[in-house]
Parts: sequence; structure tokens; C-alpha cells
Amino acid sequence: MKKEQTEELFVKWVDGRLNNEEQSQLDELFAADPELEAELTGAKEVTAVLQSEIPKSVEPPYPDFFNSQLMRKVDLEIAAQRPAEKAARWWESLRWAWAPVGALALVLAFFAGQRMSPQGNGGLADRGTADSSEKSEELPNVYFAEKSLTAEVIADADGNVSAIVVEGITAISDDIDFARADRTTSLPARYLQSEERRLQ
Amino acid sequence: MNFLRWTTSKSVMAPIGASPDAGSSDQEIPDLELIKACQGGDSRAFESLVTRHRGKVYAMVQNMIKNEADAWDLSQEVFLKVWKALPKFEARAKFSTWLYRITHNVVYDWLRKRKIDGAGELDDGVLNQSDIAAGARTSPAYQARPDEALQNSELGSKINRALATLNTEHRETIVLREVQGLDYKEIAKVMECSLGTVMSRLYYARKKLQSLLSDEKGTN
Repeated sequence: MKKEQTEELFVKWVDGRLNNEEQSQLDELFAADPELEAELTGAKEVTAVLQSEIPKSVEPPYPDFFNSQLMRKVDLEIAAQRPAEKAARWWESLRWAWAPVGALALVLAFFAGQRMSPQGNGGLADRGTADSSEKSEELPNVYFAEKSLTAEVIADADGNVSAIVVEGITAISDDIDFARADRTTSLPARYLQSEERRLQ
Repeated sequence: MNFLRWTTSKSVMAPIGASPDAGSSDQEIPDLELIKACQGGDSRAFESLVTRHRGKVYAMVQNMIKNEADAWDLSQEVFLKVWKALPKFEARAKFSTWLYRITHNVVYDWLRKRKIDGAGELDDGVLNQSDIAAGARTSPAYQARPDEALQNSELGSKINRALATLNTEHRETIVLREVQGLDYKEIAKVMECSLGTVMSRLYYARKKLQSLLSDEKGTN
């Protein structure tokens, strides 16, 4: 029998957890070594003494103070988490500010897509102008959800280089404080009016 | 928060005693309900949980490090970690097993830090008590401090001194099994080791204790 197996048998015997098969294995060991049973009985006594002499639970000194100190630390922990939550909300409040940037990005992405497949117009209204009717099929269509925006597509004679000039995008003022973003005071009036029109 | 170092610790402990149910007026509420409330941010539920389990945690830490003031601080640390980790507790294991696991981590971190901080210095608190192989016949006898010597006639203090002589792993295994009453699998979970390791540690720790306590009988 392996050393690990005998150790397990001894431990389980002391704890009274042997099954019948394990008990018979141990009985064989007891028969072979008469001192073994006495030794394990000694271990059993030690176990009983430990269980009776060492308390499972000991109240810490000043138990009320223990709780109050701990709860103070917990409160500090809770308070420390709040700024992180506030910061998260602050970023959420900035989402609207990215709307015009997003719209512009959408336009540029659309333009890039058209450059990759110049034949497709996707059924969109052609708001562009070209300097050559022969090249018009290759010019990109530019679509805006906002009707007040216009675009002019300018391409060179070979159609290798083109540019889109977008008119009507509300300028974002340098004095807007995004950290204190306030829809009612910080945004240009023109932008707010266009937003209102759009929502109507 | 080590103000307790300046108090006469034994007299502080005596009147409070060991009472597993002390202060737990809401004992009828199951742990899991309190845990759910804590996970919802209810700090009062957490305080109830602390009151219910602080005695077991403090006893466990105290049995591991044998220093009341540090045991008090470390028990605080255990519960603060519990509060932080409670949102992740999924009740797959018993709460008490999970609590002992956190206690184990806090105590081992502390012992590791203490070992690093005290490298090269003479540390009469832990030195010679935690690095003696179980079953070693020639291990040096633990020298009791004067205040401990007063209690040497009591069986409890003999056991405590014998426990202090065990290495950290053997001491923890014995305390978790014999004192806290955890089964083998729970001990393996708390100590993050195999079942075979638990069996081996229990076997050698018991053998060592048996030898130490019989030596005490012989000398007294």
C-alpha cells in the first residue's frame, strides 16, 4: 500500500470516517504492527483535546468598536466608488456632442465607399455637380439626412482626384466647455434651432 | 490601527470570552439573504453578517498568527475584502468556506510581508515557530514569553504552544479541521491544494502535536 493511502486511512480512522473496505485494510495494518493502533489512538485523543480546548469562535476585543471601525471603512469604500460612477455619467452626457462629428464621419465613410465602387449609386439622390457629363456616372452621390446641408463634388479631368465641399454644417465654437456640457447654454443657437426643427 | 498593542490584552479578552452567537440577534436570517441584501448595497445587512461571523474569523486569525492586535487588524481587513468581493460571490461554495478562503489569503499575505520586512532581523514573535518540519525529533523547544509562562499549567496554553510550533500549513490545516470543523474538501478549497495534501498535512500535524504534547507531559 502506498504511503499516501496509509496516511489517508490513518486520518479517516481518527475522524471516524472509514468505510467497511477501508476499515478492513486498516485492520490488516493493525495486525501487522501492534503499536500502530496505540499510536493512532493517541492521535485521536489529541484531536479530542483540540476540539474541546480551542474555541471555534472568539469575539474580537471591543466588538462594537470592531464593527463601527469596519463600517467606517466600508462607508469610505462606498464614497470612493461614487466619483467613478459620476465620471461614467459625465461621459454619457457628452454623447450628444459627438453627434455632429458622427454625421460628418458618416458622410466621409459614405464617400470612401463610393470611391471603392464608383458605379453604385444606391438609389440615393444625386446632390453633386460635376465638371464633365461624361464623368458624372463615376462621381459619388452624397446623401445627407439634414436637408439644409449641400455638397458639391469637384473632380479633376481624369477623375483620379475629387473633393466634396459640404455647406451648412454648424461650426463648433472654440468656447464650448465640453466638461460642463449644457444643452441649453453652451451650444450655438443655430445648432439648437436645427435640432428642434429636426425633432419636430 | 494597532492601538491594542498598548493595552493589557489578556484582561481585555477575558470578559468577552468565546461566544459564537454573541451579538447576532438576527440569527434566524440565512446568510444567503443577508448576502443578497449586501449585494444590493445594504451596508446594515453587511454589519449583521460581520457580527455573525467575526468571532470565527478572529479565532482563525488569532490561532494562525498568535497576536491579538494584529489579529484584530487582519480580521478587519478580511471583512473589508469580503465587502469588496461580495458582488462577485455566486454562492457556488458555502459562504463560510469562501470567508475562510479570504481569511487564508489575508493571513498568508501578512505572513509573507512580515517575512520580507523582517528579513535579517530577530523576530521573537514568529521566528522558530513556523519553520519546523512536522515530526522532527530534534526541533528546538518553543520558549514562552513571561506572560505566557504564567499560563503554562493550563492545558489550553500547552496546546496553543504546541500549535505555534507547527509550520503555517500544518497549523492551518489542523485549525480548519479540528477547531472550525471543515471537511477535507472544504479545507482543500480554502488552502487551494489537493485532497491528498490535506490528508498528508493532517497526518503529520497530528503526529507532531501528539509528540509535542506527550513531551510536555514528560517535562511537567
